[in-house]
Amino acid sequence: MSVNQQDLDPDSTTDVEDVADAEEELIKKCEEMWKDMEECQNKLSLTGTETLTDSNAQLSLLIMQVKCLTAELSQWQKETPEMIPLNEEILVTLGIEEFQKLRHDLELVLSTIQSNNEKLKEDLEREQKWLDEQQQILESLNELQNGLKQQVVTFSESRIFNELKTKMRDIKEYKEKLLVTLGGFLEDHFPLPDRNVKKKKKNIQESTAQLITLHEMLEILLNRLFGVPHDPYVKISESFWPPYIELLLRNGIALRHPEDPTRIRLEAFHQ
Amino acid sequence: MSALRPLDKLPGLNAATILLVGTEDALLQQLADSMLKEDCTSELNVHLARALPLPCSVNRPRIDLIVFVVNLHSKHSLQNVEESLCHLDAAFFLGKVTFLATGAGRDSHCSVHRNTVVKLAHTYRSPLLFCDLEVEDFRASMAQRLVRLLQICAGHVPGVSALNLLSLLRGSENPSLEDL
Repeated sequence: MSVNQQDLDPDSTTDVEDVADAEEELIKKCEEMWKDMEECQNKLSLTGTETLTDSNAQLSLLIMQVKCLTAELSQWQKETPEMIPLNEEILVTLGIEEFQKLRHDLELVLSTIQSNNEKLKEDLEREQKWLDEQQQILESLNELQNGLKQQVVTFSESRIFNELKTKMRDIKEYKEKLLVTLGGFLEDHFPLPDRNVKKKKKNIQESTAQLITLHEMLEILLNRLFGVPHDPYVKISESFWPPYIELLLRNGIALRHPEDPTRIRLEAFHQ
Repeated sequence: MSALRPLDKLPGLNAATILLVGTEDALLQQLADSMLKEDCTSELNVHLARALPLPCSVNRPRIDLIVFVVNLHSKHSLQNVEESLCHLDAAFFLGKVTFLATGAGRDSHCSVHRNTVVKLAHTYRSPLLFCDLEVEDFRASMAQRLVRLLQICAGHVPGVSALNLLSLLRGSENPSLEDL
């Protein structure tokens, strides 16, 4: 073909001619097709018209449709696909069109997906915020609950009462223990002089009264001090062993009455 | 007055012509406007007519698709369509005729029964579309459909002819009516 021979020519001016040739080819093809159409049109105008009525419509239409469909079918079977002239310019133009269409469609898809993405992001943010708020609410509710629990604990009167009772019990037990220990200590280290009197000779005055232990003396003094606080003095009786009285007086555990030497009192260590 | 023939003229270059036939002028006008708003690669021509036969004094292009609009609220529109059908060449019914029924939404106002129109479409072996032309959204989607149909009937879609379309649309018909 003359067109191909011109393509091999490297001269740039042939490009314009190529385009012109391609156009001419296309126009020629179109003109041929138009001539065919005119021929068909002439043949058609020779056929008569036929109108339909309700009664014969279905049958005649069905027959006509059968005929036309079979004609079309045979036409399709006969026909081979006709190629557009394989010219570079034509192909390039067609290719550009196709690509532009494709690009347009892809841009649509892209914008749709982008808007979908944005919507999803907004939804995600909203859900996240909602979740945070719910968690905050949960935390504050938990704190509230803990506070209330504690309040319930502290405001229980019976519990306080019970605590006080146990405290008192403990203190009483401690007091008992102290007294017992004190008693034991005094017995060990400050016994009554009964054994010593027996060993010594009879030139010592016998005490007529029964001597009481140091423990009992201290008890008498303690009870007097706490029983009658405005007059804590105890008269020294015969049952007090004098050396123990001296011991208490010298160590500052007991005090003499300032005017009456026969009275002593326990020193108030707690005041 | 001779009947309207489908292939009486050569087609215009890249042009497609549709003819809307019906008594409801306002609805037809609105439908025509919606169709012209559609994006389409072919040039659209929309012709409106109350009834066939068309006056032959007007120079009009080749008609590719005829849509008969029947308003289910008025028996008069149905009668009008039935009378117009007599003035069409039989060759038109090979896919270039469609029936459009409007007003089915408001059942209380319908004086024409739905089945009447279904039978009519079945008799003439043509597709029947239902659309409430008074609602703008339905009108817009119907306009889109009609534009696609028109493109096929005008031969602008390679590989599909009006007759093929007819067979394709046949599939949605009610199978019980086939026995009639």
